[in-house]
Amino acid sequence: MYELKTLRIGLAIYTALFIGFLYGPFIVMGILSFQNGPDGGPQFPIIEWSTFWYQHVLGFAPPSRVAPLPIGEALTRSLTLAFATMVVSTVLGTLTAQAFRTKFKGSGVVFYLVVLGMMVPGVLLGLGMALVADQMGVDRNWWSTAFVLHVVYTYPFAFLVMLAIFNRFDKSIEEAAWALGVPPGKTFRKVTFPIIFPGVLSAMLFALTLSYDEFPRTLFTGGSDVTMPIAIYGTFAVEIHPNLFAFGVLTTLFSFALLTVYGILMGLTVRRARASGIQEDI
Amino acid sequence: MATNNDSVAMGAPVAAPQESFWARNRHYLLLAPGVVWMVLFLVVPLLMMVYVSFWTQTTFAISSDLTIKSWQTFFASETYFGALLRTLRIWLTVLFFTFLIGYPTALFIGQFVRNKTLQTVLLVACVIPFWTSFLIRVLAWRPMLGKEGAVNIVLQGLGIIDQPIEVLLFTELSVIIGMVQIYVVFMVGPIAFMLARIDHSLIEAARDLGASAWTIFRTIIFPLSLPGVVVGAIFVSVMVLGEFATASALSGRKVNLLGNIIVTQVGSLKWAFAAVVGVILTAVMAVVITALLRVVNLRKEL
Repeated sequence: MYELKTLRIGLAIYTALFIGFLYGPFIVMGILSFQNGPDGGPQFPIIEWSTFWYQHVLGFAPPSRVAPLPIGEALTRSLTLAFATMVVSTVLGTLTAQAFRTKFKGSGVVFYLVVLGMMVPGVLLGLGMALVADQMGVDRNWWSTAFVLHVVYTYPFAFLVMLAIFNRFDKSIEEAAWALGVPPGKTFRKVTFPIIFPGVLSAMLFALTLSYDEFPRTLFTGGSDVTMPIAIYGTFAVEIHPNLFAFGVLTTLFSFALLTVYGILMGLTVRRARASGIQEDI
Repeated sequence: MATNNDSVAMGAPVAAPQESFWARNRHYLLLAPGVVWMVLFLVVPLLMMVYVSFWTQTTFAISSDLTIKSWQTFFASETYFGALLRTLRIWLTVLFFTFLIGYPTALFIGQFVRNKTLQTVLLVACVIPFWTSFLIRVLAWRPMLGKEGAVNIVLQGLGIIDQPIEVLLFTELSVIIGMVQIYVVFMVGPIAFMLARIDHSLIEAARDLGASAWTIFRTIIFPLSLPGVVVGAIFVSVMVLGEFATASALSGRKVNLLGNIIVTQVGSLKWAFAAVVGVILTAVMAVVITALLRVVNLRKEL
C-alpha cells in the first residue's frame, strides 16, 4: 500500500511537469506577445512591455514596416468555411451512423472508406485534389476544392462520434414511437434527435475546430484567396513578428468563449433531460 | 451506389407502397451521400495521384504519356531517398517519445484519479493548448529553443549550464522536440480513455491474491490499455508521416521530410514528381496503419 502511495505522488508530480511541458511554448508566446513594437522581435529579452502587437492585429496600430495580418478577409473566409464544413459533415456523419445501426452487407468496407478520410495525410489529399482539379480545368477555391476536402477530413470524426452515441442508444424508445404510428421522419425529429443532440453538438464542435485550423489540405487547393492558417504559413517564408503571438493569444481566448457556450448548451440539455425525466416519474 | 438506387427505384412498380421501398433500401439511401462524397473527393484524388506519378514531366507542365522516369529519379537521388529514410527515422523517434512521455500521464489520469470530474478537468487541461492555431504553436517553439530562448535562459538561471545550448534550434532535434510536444496529447487521450474503462475490481482481486504493483501493471493494466496505445500510435503516425510545417519552421528548412519535398515540388510545378513522393508516402502509411490495425480491431473498441 505504501508503495502505491509513493507511485501516486510520483505520477502526480510527473503529470504536473507534463502539463507544464504542454503549456511552456504557450506561456512564452503569451509573454512575447507583449513585446515592444514595431522594433521588438519574437524573441527574448523583452525590450519594453507594450500592447503594440495587439493593436497591430486589431488594426489600430500606426502603419509600420510590418504588414498587418489579413484578419478581416482571411478570418471571415476561415469561419465561413468552418461553418459550412461543420454543417455538411455533421449531417453526413449522422446519416451514415444512422445506417450503421442495423447490420448490412459491406459495412466493413464503408466503415474503413469513411475512416480513411481522417487517416490520409492532408498533403496527399491536397495534392490529389489539385491534380484532379487541374486536369478537369476546375478553378481551385477555398469554397470549392478546399471545402470538399475539409468535409472529407471532418466527416469521419462526426461519424465516429455519432456511432459511439448510437451504440449507447436504447432502440426501444424509437420502436415505441413507431408502434404508436408516428412516421419515421417525425420520430427522428421528436424522439431520436433530442436524445442524440449532445453527440451532434460534439460532432459539430469537432468539425468546426478541425476545419478552422486545417492547413495542409487547404495549401494546394485553396487558390489565391487565403484562409487564416494559409496566411500564417505565408509569414513562415518571410520574417515572423510578435503579431502572430498576439493573434494566437486572441484566438485562444475566442476558443475559450466558444467552448464555454458549448459547455452551457450541454449543461442545459442535460438539465432539460433530467427535468423531463422527473415529469415522467410523476 | 447512387445510380444503383436510381435503377432500383425506376424498376419498381409505380404502385408499390413507398414505405416498403424506404424500408428495403433505407441503408443505401442513408449511406449514399457519404459514400459518394468519399469516393469522389477521397478515392478519386488518390487514384489520380497514382496515375499522374507515371506521367511525363516537362519543365513547367505534365503530359499524360506514361513513363517511369519520375520513379527512377526518386530512387536514384540521394536527396530524395534520404528524405524517405529521414521521415521514417523521425517518425519512429517521435512515436517512441510520445509513448514514453505520454503513458505515465495517461496512467495517472486513467487509473489513479478516481474522481470523474477531476479526470475530465485534467484531460481538458491537456487539450487547451490545442485551441491555439497549430502553426502558431509550432512558431512558439522558436523563442523557446533559440540561443537566447526560454530553455537556455531557465537552464542558465538555475546554473545548470554556463554556455547556451546551440543545437536546440534549427536542427533535427528541434523538429523532434516540437513534434513530440504537439502530438503527445493524441497518445495520452486514447490510453487514458482505455485505462479509465478498466474494472477496478479486477485490480483489487489481483492485489488480494498477492500480486505486486509491477505484476498487476504487466499482466492486467498494460494489456488492457493496448488498444488505446494502438489508436494513439495511429493518430501520431498519420500526423507525423504527413508533416512538413514543423520541419520547415523549426529546422530552418534544413530537415526535409517527404511532405516538404511534395510542397517544394508542387511549388515548382513538378506535379509528376510530387505525385511519386505522394504515392511512396501513401504506401508507407498503408503499411504502418495495416500493421497497427492487426494488433487491435478498431471497430470493436468503439
